[in-house]
Amino acid sequence: MRGIMLTATSFALTAAVLGNAYVQKKQFYPSVVYITKSHPSLAVLYLQAFVLVILMGKLFKKVFFGQLRAAEMEHLIERSWYAVTETCLAFTVFRDDFGPRFVAMFTLLLFVKCFHWLAEDRVDYMERSPVISWVFHMRVITLLVVLASFDLLFINYAYHSTLTKGASVQLVFGFEYAILLTVLINVFFKYVLHTIDLQSENPWENKAVYMLYTDLIMGFIKVFLYTAFVAIMIKIHTFPLFATRPMYLAMRSFKKAVHDVIMSRRAIRNMNTLYPDATAEDLATTDSICIICREDMVAGEPGAGGGGTCKKLPCNHIFHSSCLRSWFQRQQTCPTCRMDVLRLSVAAASQRLRQQGQQQQGGVGQQGQAGPGLGQQGNGQVPPVPGQGMPPFPPNFQFWLPQFQGGVPFPQPPVPPPPSSAAQPGASTATSPTTTGAASQGTSPGTSPGTSTATPTSWGTSLPNFPPPPNMGAPGMGGMLPNMFPSMMPPFMMPFGMSPPMPPPNFSGLSDEELHAMEGMERQHVQARIECLKNIQSLLDAAVIQMQQYSTLISGLGMPTVPVTPASTHTTSATSTVPTPTVQTGESPAPPSSPINPETLTSTAAQPSESSNDLSDLEGAVGFTSPAKETKDDAAEPAAESPEEQERNEVRRRRLQRLSSSETSTS
Amino acid sequence: MAGSALKRLMAEYKQLTVNPPEGIIAGPVNEENFFEWEALITGPEGTCFEGGVFQTELKFPTDYPLNPPKMRFKTEMFHPNIYADGRVCISILHAPGDDPMGYESSAERWSPVQSVEKILLSVISMLAEPNDESGANVDASKMWRDDREKFYRIAGELVRKSLSL
Ligand SMILES: [Zn+2]
Ligand SMILES: [Zn+2]
Repeated sequence: MRGIMLTATSFALTAAVLGNAYVQKKQFYPSVVYITKSHPSLAVLYLQAFVLVILMGKLFKKVFFGQLRAAEMEHLIERSWYAVTETCLAFTVFRDDFGPRFVAMFTLLLFVKCFHWLAEDRVDYMERSPVISWVFHMRVITLLVVLASFDLLFINYAYHSTLTKGASVQLVFGFEYAILLTVLINVFFKYVLHTIDLQSENPWENKAVYMLYTDLIMGFIKVFLYTAFVAIMIKIHTFPLFATRPMYLAMRSFKKAVHDVIMSRRAIRNMNTLYPDATAEDLATTDSICIICREDMVAGEPGAGGGGTCKKLPCNHIFHSSCLRSWFQRQQTCPTCRMDVLRLSVAAASQRLRQQGQQQQGGVGQQGQAGPGLGQQGNGQVPPVPGQGMPPFPPNFQFWLPQFQGGVPFPQPPVPPPPSSAAQPGASTATSPTTTGAASQGTSPGTSPGTSTATPTSWGTSLPNFPPPPNMGAPGMGGMLPNMFPSMMPPFMMPFGMSPPMPPPNFSGLSDEELHAMEGMERQHVQARIECLKNIQSLLDAAVIQMQQYSTLISGLGMPTVPVTPASTHTTSATSTVPTPTVQTGESPAPPSSPINPETLTSTAAQPSESSNDLSDLEGAVGFTSPAKETKDDAAEPAAESPEEQERNEVRRRRLQRLSSSETSTS
Repeated sequence: MAGSALKRLMAEYKQLTVNPPEGIIAGPVNEENFFEWEALITGPEGTCFEGGVFQTELKFPTDYPLNPPKMRFKTEMFHPNIYADGRVCISILHAPGDDPMGYESSAERWSPVQSVEKILLSVISMLAEPNDESGANVDASKMWRDDREKFYRIAGELVRKSLSL
């Protein structure tokens, strides 16, 4: 409404000014002279020119775009603000050339720019709308032609002007129009690509790739133009401040284009080399819907223009190769289960090799083929394997994994413990490596938490991530194992004697044979570790059971009685081999923090607990009194303490020190 | 042949209209542009937002579903996970690469497996159970933790406001 008012006023004023001049001078030439001499008249005429330009713009808009969409309008206004500010900056550089002509040319430039932006937005819109009418095509084509001729005209003018009159503000105009021309060419290519895509019956797989290369080339030309312009401007004037922002933007988008092209090439290469095409049987076992585009997948027909093929990832998820490719440009994970497929596929390739060679491990190999398997089945008490098409892991899977990883640092060579203190700090320190390990591991696996480590084939890749084995836990446990559960020492503990080879952080540099050899070893290590963890678990279970017995016993006794000879009872319990863990649990009443499944707890703990029942009276006393002593100050301890007791306390103190120091160093 | 993003959005729209989940109405604002949607979400029953009808907008990128849409509440909201300008802060709407809060595992983030329906359902569950660790709205987080009564009162007011639209 206000626009109409302004336009009407402007026209009225112009008519008044012209009429006044003609009435006064009666002739054409004198009235022109009169108008140019009179400032108010000139102001009115400038206003009129401005209004005319706006009207022209509106007309163009109506012809070429019809109604502007809200997003386009927003975009336009935002960009216009930048353009106006930059133009004002440019004015300061060319103060000498300042004049009505100059202003007019900048206004025109601004208008032409706006139309370029709108053309860009409009062509992008082709991707978004299901209905593209022929009017749309007509409009876009004529707009592109008109804008291109505008650009060429001004570039040509600027070029000749610079040649004949030397460097002037025309240089800036020529450069601006050249940039606009590159924008236009880019828009044109995109329009052509979209149009071809719209006309074709099948999805055009390579469109994305062509788009990327168009962006790359046009980005390069733009950066080149900006660099040349800045260089010339510095030479003849000063640094063109007004060009810095667009130049920065051009460089950034060029960098992004380069990055995209690199990622795209890598994705295509990986797709072609690493992942097999899905066969009809593969598709029959799934619901054959590509999770990315939600459309049916058909087993690859080579005739379908190179398209239509589907790829199977190592995790058995199947996607259209084109869908997968565009996803791999962004992420190297399986869209469905987020498995780190790049690492996995390398390992899978080596596993295929190994399967051909080693048939005796067929059972394990099958597990490997079936997907996430060995770690879980080896442990026997874990949630089910995430199935086909099932969205991410059940929550308890993630809970379980840190527990498992936390135990892995364990395989240190068992260190012979100090003889008398073997039993005491065992439980308290033995639980701590698992919990600290869990804390540090829970967060570290990065993009695919647990998935990469859960599969047998990728153990090697995940190993380097492990924290250094906490040495305060291993000696204590190591001492506990041979001393108290000699019967439970499994034969497969033996591989732990040698430390496992640390594989290099990535496998790409290794030959298949090397991978193969390394993996064979790795599997044994992993199995041994799992067994070891099971042993630890039964130890902990036993400890928990006895702890519970104590608590019931103590609550039954009411006020505890101080035993007369703690040292002697301790020696008897130590010789009786089985019930020794009771002493530890008495001292560190926190075994529930260890990640134990309560169901297995009762079953595995049954064995040690039944033999300990007859001794429980005595041990209850021992287990209870030692924490009471611990709370007292060591110095206040009576000197009459037996030497054994003193030694024990000393060792305990040292352990605590070491524990706290190693905790601070790891954290 | 339309682009894959467009086709997928059309498929999702069809799915949502044929088989609408409870408490959700969603669709493009204008059927000529499938990349801007409007969704009406009803407050989950048994929560302080019960009974409210909240208007949201979803803007999809051209490479959807490879990247997540942006979601914004157009109705005024007061919630620990909704910014003052209405933007929603939940992990499902974050691309796997970026982690503005630094606390999410990538398993909860956006992936093509997700869909508009799943987003809206997660938003509903977010309304029911705010996560006060993400500080999209610090005041709301604090109030949710310390002064639940007041939070409920404000939520009730917003519910009334949302219905008066
Ligand atoms: Zn697909
Ligand atoms: Zn997968």
